[in-house]
Amino acid sequence: MSAVFNLRVLGGGLLLAAAGALALHGQPDLEQKWAFMAPEYGARLENREVYIDPAELLHMMNDDYIDLVIYDVRDERDWNIFHLVDAERVSLDDLPAQRDRLRGLSELAVVVVVSNDEIRATQAWKRLMALAKPNAYILEGGLNHWLNIYGVLDEEYESHGTASLHKPDGTLRHPFKIALGARHAAAQPDEHHTPERIYTTKVKLLKKVARAGGCD
Amino acid sequence: MAPLDLTAIFGVNGSYLVYIGIGFCFGFILESSGFGDSRKLAAQFYFSELRVLKVMFTAIVVAMLLVFWATALGLLDYDELMVKQTWLWPGIVGGLIMGVGFILGGYCPGTSLVSTATLKVDGMFFLLGHIVGVVAFGETVGYIYEFWNSGYMGRFLLPELLGLPTGVVVLLVVCMAIAMFLGFGWIQRLIYKRGDPQ
Repeated sequence: MSAVFNLRVLGGGLLLAAAGALALHGQPDLEQKWAFMAPEYGARLENREVYIDPAELLHMMNDDYIDLVIYDVRDERDWNIFHLVDAERVSLDDLPAQRDRLRGLSELAVVVVVSNDEIRATQAWKRLMALAKPNAYILEGGLNHWLNIYGVLDEEYESHGTASLHKPDGTLRHPFKIALGARHAAAQPDEHHTPERIYTTKVKLLKKVARAGGCD
Repeated sequence: MAPLDLTAIFGVNGSYLVYIGIGFCFGFILESSGFGDSRKLAAQFYFSELRVLKVMFTAIVVAMLLVFWATALGLLDYDELMVKQTWLWPGIVGGLIMGVGFILGGYCPGTSLVSTATLKVDGMFFLLGHIVGVVAFGETVGYIYEFWNSGYMGRFLLPELLGLPTGVVVLLVVCMAIAMFLGFGWIQRLIYKRGDPQ
């Protein structure tokens, strides 16, 4: 009887001690979780497997079979000046609120994170992976690179040159006279009227697309 | 980092062997703890025998500690574990129905399977009733579709409900389980003038 009682006390004490230690230790936040995941997923960043060419993003924007989610993680000022059609502005701190949505995405969904260059988008990608491991990619060179390719000269609205992509510092390097948001011509360029661009396809869908042919 | 893709590691047949092994251990513990006996299960509700309750809650608490310690140490991604989403109102009604069914029939769906495995007739009839109920529900759910989908809260967990860190909630649940063991044991001794057999 006494031995059984002591075993019960010991078991209860162990459970309490383990729970108390856990309460003190806490659960990993997104940064710590990424640190745990880095050995497995960090190579994708180092090998640039997840940095997609602007032309690949443009192609997906025009592909009705793909459930494309574009997260723009820049601040509101840059967002108001210019953003892609169908992009959603989400700050880095607000990304955790997207978890349920990310977990509910279809196998034909692709998430692309964009920022002015790659710095903030890469931070967001790490957080997304720590949150829900979606099929996520980063716009190579960011919107500065996008505007280098698809930005148009238009005297009435703004003037563009080619912005340097060297030494990225997170800023939008193209000058805009006024904030046009998604009304800018480069927000949704016509894929068939843009210069053909050769790029390596990097996006892999989780499920093969059953594309309908003929009149469909 | 777990959860692991067993099929990728061991192949299809290898993963089946793992599932069989886990199922065997699970069934062995359930049966040896009395989960296949409706009298022992129903006795929990009258405080006359608390073995099933103690086994179940000890398992819950130990599993909870293992899951969250593994998460804290980076061995497991808790977010990758399937957690049932919450539909509050149908959940409450379903819980009430299941509770009444449990105390009337002496089984829950899982324990009726354990009982059937040892060829207990009451377990077989309970399981049969369970299957008929599932079919009947499937055929009539269209009439209560709106209610069935009401109160959706997504993946809603205790830390969110209580506004407390996960570790603190784990500690509270462990305290609750221990308090419950002690309290129910006290009630048992009060009513029946005895404790569980040692």
